[in-house]
Amino acid sequence: MLAYVANLATLICINAILAVTLNFIMGYAGIFSLAHAVFFGVGAYVAALMALQWTDSLLLQLAFAMTVSGLLSAALALPALRVRGDYFVAASLGFQVLAVTVFSEWKSVTGGIGGLVGIPPATIAGHAFVNPMEFLGLAAVALALVVLLTRTLVRSSFGRSLKAIRDSESAALAFGKNVALIKTLSVFYSSAMCATAGVLYADYLSFINVESFTIDASTLFMAMVIVGGIGTVWGPLVGAVLLTLLPAVLTYLPFLPQTEIGSVQQMVYGLAMVLLMIFKPDGLMGIKQGEA
Amino acid sequence: MLLVQLIINGVQVGALYGLTAVGFSLIFGATKIFHFAHGASFAISAYVFYYLYAVLNLGWPISILACSIAVVLFGVTLDRYVYVPIQRSNGSFFTVFVASFGVAVVIQNLIGTVFGRGFISVSSALSKSVEVAPGLYVAPTAGIAIVIAAACFVALQLFLGRTNIGIALRALSESPALVRTFGLNPKAISTCAFALGSLLVVPAAVLTSMTSGLNAAIGGRVMLISIAATIVGGVGSLRGAACAGLLLGVAENLAVWRFDPQWSEAVTFIILFTFIVLRPSGFFGRVVTS
Amino acid sequence: MLSPRKIAVLAFSMFVSFVGQASAEDFRIGAIFPLSGANADYGDLYMGATELAVSHLNEAKALGGKLSIAYEDSQALPQQGVIAMNKLVNVEKVSYVLSAFTGVSKAISTTAMRSHTVAVNGGGVGPDLAELGEYFWNVIPLANFEVRAMAPYLVQKRGLKRVVLVYVDDPLGQSIKRELESSLPPLGGMLAEALSVPSNAQQFSGIAARVRDANPDVVYIASFGAQQSQIIKQLRDNGVTQQLASYSGFAIPAIANLPEAKGALFTTQRIDWNSEDPVTKRFTQEYQLKTKRAPTAYAANYYNAVLLFGTLASAVQKAGQPVTGENLLAKRREIGAFDLVGGRLSFEKDGTIRSAMQINEVDGGAGKVVEVVAAP
Repeated sequence: MLAYVANLATLICINAILAVTLNFIMGYAGIFSLAHAVFFGVGAYVAALMALQWTDSLLLQLAFAMTVSGLLSAALALPALRVRGDYFVAASLGFQVLAVTVFSEWKSVTGGIGGLVGIPPATIAGHAFVNPMEFLGLAAVALALVVLLTRTLVRSSFGRSLKAIRDSESAALAFGKNVALIKTLSVFYSSAMCATAGVLYADYLSFINVESFTIDASTLFMAMVIVGGIGTVWGPLVGAVLLTLLPAVLTYLPFLPQTEIGSVQQMVYGLAMVLLMIFKPDGLMGIKQGEA
Repeated sequence: MLLVQLIINGVQVGALYGLTAVGFSLIFGATKIFHFAHGASFAISAYVFYYLYAVLNLGWPISILACSIAVVLFGVTLDRYVYVPIQRSNGSFFTVFVASFGVAVVIQNLIGTVFGRGFISVSSALSKSVEVAPGLYVAPTAGIAIVIAAACFVALQLFLGRTNIGIALRALSESPALVRTFGLNPKAISTCAFALGSLLVVPAAVLTSMTSGLNAAIGGRVMLISIAATIVGGVGSLRGAACAGLLLGVAENLAVWRFDPQWSEAVTFIILFTFIVLRPSGFFGRVVTS
Repeated sequence: MLSPRKIAVLAFSMFVSFVGQASAEDFRIGAIFPLSGANADYGDLYMGATELAVSHLNEAKALGGKLSIAYEDSQALPQQGVIAMNKLVNVEKVSYVLSAFTGVSKAISTTAMRSHTVAVNGGGVGPDLAELGEYFWNVIPLANFEVRAMAPYLVQKRGLKRVVLVYVDDPLGQSIKRELESSLPPLGGMLAEALSVPSNAQQFSGIAARVRDANPDVVYIASFGAQQSQIIKQLRDNGVTQQLASYSGFAIPAIANLPEAKGALFTTQRIDWNSEDPVTKRFTQEYQLKTKRAPTAYAANYYNAVLLFGTLASAVQKAGQPVTGENLLAKRREIGAFDLVGGRLSFEKDGTIRSAMQINEVDGGAGKVVEVVAAP
């Protein structure tokens, strides 16, 4: 029983990292990206390839995954610099769809639709993380670090500039802020951190394929941020917990036919998004208007 | 001949893409609402038609009428009960978009639950191709699609140019405030925009159910193409959305000529991405300020 | 999608697991099937067969106690499969799991290997399923065998030499392509063109145009599920009149009932539904009675998978050993061949089986067997 709970908890930690990093660009930079799963995937594929071909050292995998993901984020930053909100959503959507095609076709790297199997467990200084409880500890530590780093960044002058840009780009420009650079850096940070979740995911499941990195995944991460409360510290964490547990909880409801669990899960968070936007747009942990 | 065949296939598909995109563009241009649930309108219309025509066998006039009513009701209800309340309290782009997105997710899964997640199609003799020239196969649905799309578009232009409501719609996309000073009710006009925009999905939905078939996730796909066409064509330009839809349909099919069919979907997004980066205002749109 | 029987079975299954570890005598095996989502029909199909097998085993009192199956929903998604496998291994503590769908099977194979739990596939035919470790077994002949049975028939018996392949670009499709490329030339045939399609594609008019352009004698389709019907219909609608051929993916009711599919050829495992062999006979009769459907190879395979557990577990018990994955694997190696639906099936070293194949023709009903190809 414990192993089952540990399994869920680990997935929650991974999802939380994704939600926190997405919240960073959505909540603080005002960049609505539907392509977050792409960087998750990039991180996972880099880690998997490294583990299969070269080294199972977790730290090296992290370093490489974050770098590759960060560099790739420039492709997303480019439209972010050119156009505002609604257009950017479209661009990120396009980027996501394109990425899925690449993931499915670049068989030598990603294994195509078949994916990559038998990824060896990650190691730090020779110690392999096979025990699920140990891995949970690893994931929790990673989450804590990401949250801490993000919070520090948000509270710094970089974070204040970011919020200034979100609230009024032209005013920020007028004040001499290098909007382009700040936006690019924030996307870089978000994508690089997102890749860490991918590394953990690949090392944990020992199998990855493109199905985990589609638009459905991006939608789920966005839902976590929104339901939890965008632009807050606890919001994405709450969202991640709720939405990761949702399918598991639904399986225990006796009156729900098993065949419909997947649909019901999506309907629940779809409905949650609609109702929240009408009645409480700041999400469950949302701040009142006027605060930070 | 292969090339010509692919171009004709592309024009058929593109005509329908264009029509759906025009519906989205109309709504977006007039109300500034990013109606992500437009894809859901398409899905609702298609499935209602499928159910009435193929399952209950009610004949196509009733089926088309019913699915038109259903989709208009959907669009208008969404406007009245979701978008308007949101705009009243906190009308940021983000909140509206997320609500619309949520609706789309709910509808997609509702359809999946009720009708199943497999592929379904409406069998009709119209979808069977006829060899009009050696190596060139065209089905009646192709001709119907092109003719209806053109007719709808012309009718729309007349409506927007000649009727009072049409002119009011155009006025709304230019300046909502000014519309009020002229004594018109922007809310009523935007409801019209939703009704009209949603109605425009019906021909495409009906024809798609007969040719490519449907599945529960089709709303999402249609939405992506409508957004892509609207942006590439230029926001605010219906002509642009129609042309861009046509272009995307042709490009998607032409890609099969030389590339692996795997990439045909990606072609749409490569085009979209290129436009956003190089020319965000699209073909005919006004310049976008960041 | 709502199936009262399915709900009842699942409810009972949950009830049993809630009641806690039932008496030490009772046996529980796991099953990871797509119970929701686009492939729920397959899950339903498999479940009908597995439940039948459970009832037969319990009737025969083959094992010391009662057997029951803990079903988990994979939604045909690998990640969900892993979560399900985790639950089965750690919470239900099963030693034997039924798996379905290549992607899911690959995902759970690592857990199976590490926890020494036997995982059995009865539905997926991707050849990469042969490479998932010693604890992963396949009771269904894999796709490369299917192609090897079909190719000589097409070229030599039917004179169809020029083949065009329409395939989904996943391991299954790729292996079928490789198999066609290697088996056609020695027979005097050739693979003129191979067109890959995305697994979620619905528009095939462009593909049809290219197929026509390649001028084939026969079109081989390597797709899956409902997409197959779409491909067939649109190929026919767009002027492709040539013979169609495929692998066992065509063995579903949707294709049997599709008018445009009439005359298409497809391979399946050879199962003589009219055989006098007692195991086959009993399965055929009762499956028909219970589910009101004609049995298919998929159903037979999952029935066999459960029956296999019954045979192995009772042999292990007779030897005085506990029923664990290691012991089941050892017994399988020891016994080697088993009397299951379809006749005597023997296991290869890599956990796959060789079996005779049959070539069927779609005729609007249960399909007509036009050729039997002996086991290689």
